[in-house]
Amino acid sequence: MYELRDVRKVFDDGSVALDGMSLTVGAGEHVAFIGPSGAGKTTLFRILNLTLRPTSGMLRLNGTDVATLSGADLRRARTSIGTIYQQHNLVGRLRVVHNVLAGNLGRWSTLTALGSLLRPRATDEAARALAQVGIPEKLYARTDELSGGQQQRVAIARVLIQDPDVVLADEPVSSVDPTLAVSIVTLLRDISNESRKTLLMNLHSVELALTYFPRILGIREGRVHFDLSPDKVSPEMLEELYAGHGDERGELAALGEGTNSFGKACRPLPGFDR
Amino acid sequence: MARPADRFPASTAKSAFPYLLAVAFALTFALSLRAAQVDPRLLFDAQALGNVARFVRGALPPKLDPEFLGMLARPAAETIQISVMGMVIAVLLGAPLGLLATSSLTWRGILHERVTRRARLMLGAAPYGAARALLSVFRSIPEYVWALMFVRAVGLGPFPGVLAIGVAYGGMLGKVYSEILEAVNPRPLETLHAAGAGKAGVVLYGLLPEALPHVVSYTLYRWECAIRASAILGFVGAGGLGQQIELSMRMFQFDEVLTLLAVLLLLVGTVDFISGRIRARVVR
Repeated sequence: MYELRDVRKVFDDGSVALDGMSLTVGAGEHVAFIGPSGAGKTTLFRILNLTLRPTSGMLRLNGTDVATLSGADLRRARTSIGTIYQQHNLVGRLRVVHNVLAGNLGRWSTLTALGSLLRPRATDEAARALAQVGIPEKLYARTDELSGGQQQRVAIARVLIQDPDVVLADEPVSSVDPTLAVSIVTLLRDISNESRKTLLMNLHSVELALTYFPRILGIREGRVHFDLSPDKVSPEMLEELYAGHGDERGELAALGEGTNSFGKACRPLPGFDR
Repeated sequence: MARPADRFPASTAKSAFPYLLAVAFALTFALSLRAAQVDPRLLFDAQALGNVARFVRGALPPKLDPEFLGMLARPAAETIQISVMGMVIAVLLGAPLGLLATSSLTWRGILHERVTRRARLMLGAAPYGAARALLSVFRSIPEYVWALMFVRAVGLGPFPGVLAIGVAYGGMLGKVYSEILEAVNPRPLETLHAAGAGKAGVVLYGLLPEALPHVVSYTLYRWECAIRASAILGFVGAGGLGQQIELSMRMFQFDEVLTLLAVLLLLVGTVDFISGRIRARVVR
C-alpha cells in the first residue's frame, strides 16, 4: 500500500518534522502509531494523505511514486485515501446529509455537487452509512447541533461514502471520553475489516494501540523508533519512546491491570504494575 | 511558518512609539482643523440663521397634495429599481473577483502546500493580484464619479446610475467577500481537499456554507447604502428621487424637498426592515 524511503520534511521555519523515515505498510494492514507529541506523527499523516509534499525521500502509493502525480491523477489518488481528524472538521452549518455526501466530492462533477446541495441525492446511501456508525436518525439534523462524539461518527460516515482503500485516523479519539474512545476505535477497526481497508491510526493512548492493533510503530523525533507487534513492546521501550516527555509518562504508569483509563476494554499489560 | 508568538513579540523594553504616535495624531488634528476651515461661528451668524429660517419656513408644511404625491411614485420606484439592478451587477462582479482575491483559495495556505512554488505564483498569485487591483480601482473611484462617466457613455437616465452602483459596489463587495472567505476556518476545507474534492467542491461544501451569513448580511447592508446612493446619483442626471430633489432645490420649492426626503426615509426604512427579516432567517 505505502512505501516510504528516507522521507524528510523540513518546514519553512527550519523545524525538522520528519528526519529520514522509512517504512512499508501492506494492503489491509492495521497499524497504530504512537509516540510523544511533536514526534512528527501528524506531519507523517499529512504526507500520507497527499496534502503535504516531503522535502526529500520517496513515497510510493500502490507502487506509484506520488511525486509524479498532479491534477486529476492526484485527485484520484486522494479519493482513495480517507482521513479522520482529531477535530472532526465538519461544516457545522450544513445538514449532516451534506457533510456525509461530501465524501463523494472526489468523484462528483461541480454540477452534481451543486445539485445535491439543493436536493440531496444518494440519500439512501448516506442513510446507510449513518446507520453503520449508529446515528441513523441524524440524517437531516444540523451538524453543529450534534455532540462531539456524534460529529466524529458523521466524519466516519463520510469516509464510508468516500469508500477509500486506506483510512488514516489522526488522533480520532483525543477529544472524547474513554468509553466513546473505545467504541470509535473498534468501529473504525470493524469497518476497515469488513471492506478490507488498510487502517493507520495515530493514537495518544498506548493502551488502545496495544489492545486493538497487531502492529505498533513507535515514532520519536521524526524517525521510526520501533516497529513491533504489541506483545514485543516492553515497558522499557515505551519509557525510552516517551523519554523527556514527563507529562505523557504519567499515563504509562497506569498501563497495569485495572488501572488504565479504559478499564476492561483494554488489555492489561504485564510489567506495568508499579 | 511563523508561530503566532513570533508575530507579536512581548517587548519589555520601554518604547517611544506610542508617544510619537500621539504627537503625530495631535499635529494631524490641529492642521486638519485649520486646513478644513472648521469654524462653528459661521453656523450662527445672522445671514446663515436667516437662510436656515427661510428654508424651514419654506419647507413647512411639506407639500402633500395628491397631484404631487402621484408624481413621486415613478421616481421612487425608479430609485428602488436602480438600487436593485445596481446590486445585481455588483454581486455579479464582486462574487467572482472576490473568490479570485481570496488568498486561501488561490495560492496560500493549507490547500496549496503540495503545489510547487512556481505553479503557485503563476496560476494562483497572478490572478489573485489582478483581481485585487481591479477591485481596488472599482471601489476607490466614488460612485458619483462613475455616474458622471457613464452618463457621458450611455446618456442620461437610470442606466448610468445602475452601472455606477454596480461597478463601485462590486469593488466593495468583492473586497469584503474575500476578507470574509479568508477568515473561514481552514480545517474543514483541508478535509474536503484531502478527500479528493476540487476547488469548486471546497467552495460549495466548505467555504460558502460557513461564510453565507456574513456574505448575505453584508450584501443586504450594501443594498441599504445603494438606495441612498441611487438618490444622490439623481443629482448628476441618473434619474430617481435624487433628480427630483435637485430640481426642487434649484426652484426653491423647499416644501417639495421635505416631502421627497420623507419618501427617501421611508424607502430606506422599508429596505432596512426587509433586510432585517432576511438576515434573521439566514443568520443562525
